[in-house]
Amino acid sequence: MRLLDWVVLVGSLASIIAYGLYRGRGSNTVDRYLLGGKSMPWYAMALSIMATQASAITFISTTGQSYVDGMRFVQFYFGLPLAMVVLCATAVPIFHRAKVYTAYEYLEHRFDAKTRALASLIFLMQRGLSVGLTFYAPAIVLSVIFGWPDRLTTLIIGVTVVLYTVTGGIRTVTWTDVQQMLIILFGLLVALITIIHMLPRQVSLLDAMRLAGSAGKLNAVNFHFDWNDRYNLWSGLIGGMFLALSYFGCDQSQVQRYLTGKSIAQSKLSLLFTAVAKIPMQFFILFIGAMVFVFYIFEPPPLVFQRIEYDRIQSGDVRARYEPIAARYQDAFARRKQAALDIITAHHSGDPNGEADALGRYRQALKEVDAARNQGASLVAATGGEKGFRDTNYIFLSFVTRYLPSGIVGLVIAVILAATMSSSSGEINSLATVSVVDIYKRHFRKGASDHHYLTASRVATAFWGAYAVAFAGFGKNLGSLIEAVNIVGSLFYGSLLGVFTLAFFFKRVTGTGAFCGMLAGEAAIFAAFLFTGISFLWYNVIGCVVVIATGAAVSFFRPQLPPQQI
Amino acid sequence: MLPETRDLPDEPPPFLGTWRHVYAAVVVYLALVIAACYAFTRLFA
Repeated sequence: MRLLDWVVLVGSLASIIAYGLYRGRGSNTVDRYLLGGKSMPWYAMALSIMATQASAITFISTTGQSYVDGMRFVQFYFGLPLAMVVLCATAVPIFHRAKVYTAYEYLEHRFDAKTRALASLIFLMQRGLSVGLTFYAPAIVLSVIFGWPDRLTTLIIGVTVVLYTVTGGIRTVTWTDVQQMLIILFGLLVALITIIHMLPRQVSLLDAMRLAGSAGKLNAVNFHFDWNDRYNLWSGLIGGMFLALSYFGCDQSQVQRYLTGKSIAQSKLSLLFTAVAKIPMQFFILFIGAMVFVFYIFEPPPLVFQRIEYDRIQSGDVRARYEPIAARYQDAFARRKQAALDIITAHHSGDPNGEADALGRYRQALKEVDAARNQGASLVAATGGEKGFRDTNYIFLSFVTRYLPSGIVGLVIAVILAATMSSSSGEINSLATVSVVDIYKRHFRKGASDHHYLTASRVATAFWGAYAVAFAGFGKNLGSLIEAVNIVGSLFYGSLLGVFTLAFFFKRVTGTGAFCGMLAGEAAIFAAFLFTGISFLWYNVIGCVVVIATGAAVSFFRPQLPPQQI
Repeated sequence: MLPETRDLPDEPPPFLGTWRHVYAAVVVYLALVIAACYAFTRLFA
């Protein structure tokens, strides 16, 4: 990091804190602190929803995912617009009219206190696990690349986020999210333009896309259905829709965003804007990863992107095993580069035979590069590194710090920290809201003053911030963090989606039925996770279906007694 | 705390007349996005 990078980074973060504190003035009642006085316009809610969902993991891990596995991850978001339409037609008006602070509060209106309490606890468990991952992603990567201690990085981010979230509540969270989202979009655009500009002069953008496509990196859609394949059109449309329904309909970190809306229409518009903007944004981020892949066709990439492990396997006793792998890697890289240049030359000179020949050599060299990289990862794991070592999360930042010019590096780091702050502030705020409204106020201290609950909300916010920092190391051995965070969500979301589906659409289902359904749903999801190879996107479908079936069955056999018979 | 009662009518959307039309437009948009992604995949495969 050079001086200009530090100026950009510190300037960006300082402006976020100052703006957050400015916007948070007047959050002196529980209504204003937790729901922003229900005064938010649709565009602020929309950008806040997108910023909360787009954590640092999105940029660090998604770009690496695209480098390794291509753009097929974009299919994960295909179900999102469908989910938004369903939520606009159902959950948004229901929650608004019920005048609730949390989604789980509504479950007591519809069922009973135990169903609300169980749903709240499931949310606290799920989001409590995820918030640690949100802090961990940038901290560990920055620690590896710059040598910054990861505990110190999480502490600095944590203190910053807690400072403005405790002070200003949801209003601060929403408006800082807007600012952070604008920084994120600007930073990504600059990063992509810079990468394309850094490609060799004879390689145009179309050539780059042709090379990425030939390597299977632009595989945005796959129609082939396979239960065990994580990303295809069907798992994305169906599984992704269920996951998005759960996330945006049952997760307080999202529901709270659109509960702050001035009106039902404003809340609906915020979700529909997200529905339209999300896929292009994810496509764009994945495309950056694909272009980083093309960049490394012409510049030699390290065998292992994690600097500390890379240095370790090049020294000491391990070096003897490293050298033959590195030699094969360099040889395959040189042949891949030459074949790529031959493809471009043959294509531009209209030589289909030459292009086909070069394409064959290019694909063969690709396989050899991948094989050498896998051997390098195995060497790391076999010589004292992490078991099942993967360096997906280090690819993009390794590229940024090695090749991007002064100023842009600071901007990209600011994007990653801004994304962490926007996600974690929303998560902490929602965890505090559920803790106070659904647990503390409902079960421990009813009927206290507004000031008391406001203070309790601030204390809970500080507590969850401290908790997130303390548990930030949870994701250390989870491989791709973007997958890890979605897998954690999928372990719990199906049950929540099931119980809200029962609440909205099954009038005869009782509180006991819904409660038993949630327990059965969780059992089914964990059974699928532990004993089958089913892709995690299907857990939401499985959990939801089991909750509905069990809830309906229990309610049928144990119907609610009319009041005079109780 | 929140006001005890508040009339919350579902206002019409600012464009396309009804929410039903807006929802249909989002679904059509999704179909077009998937088609574009498929064309993108085929074009550069």
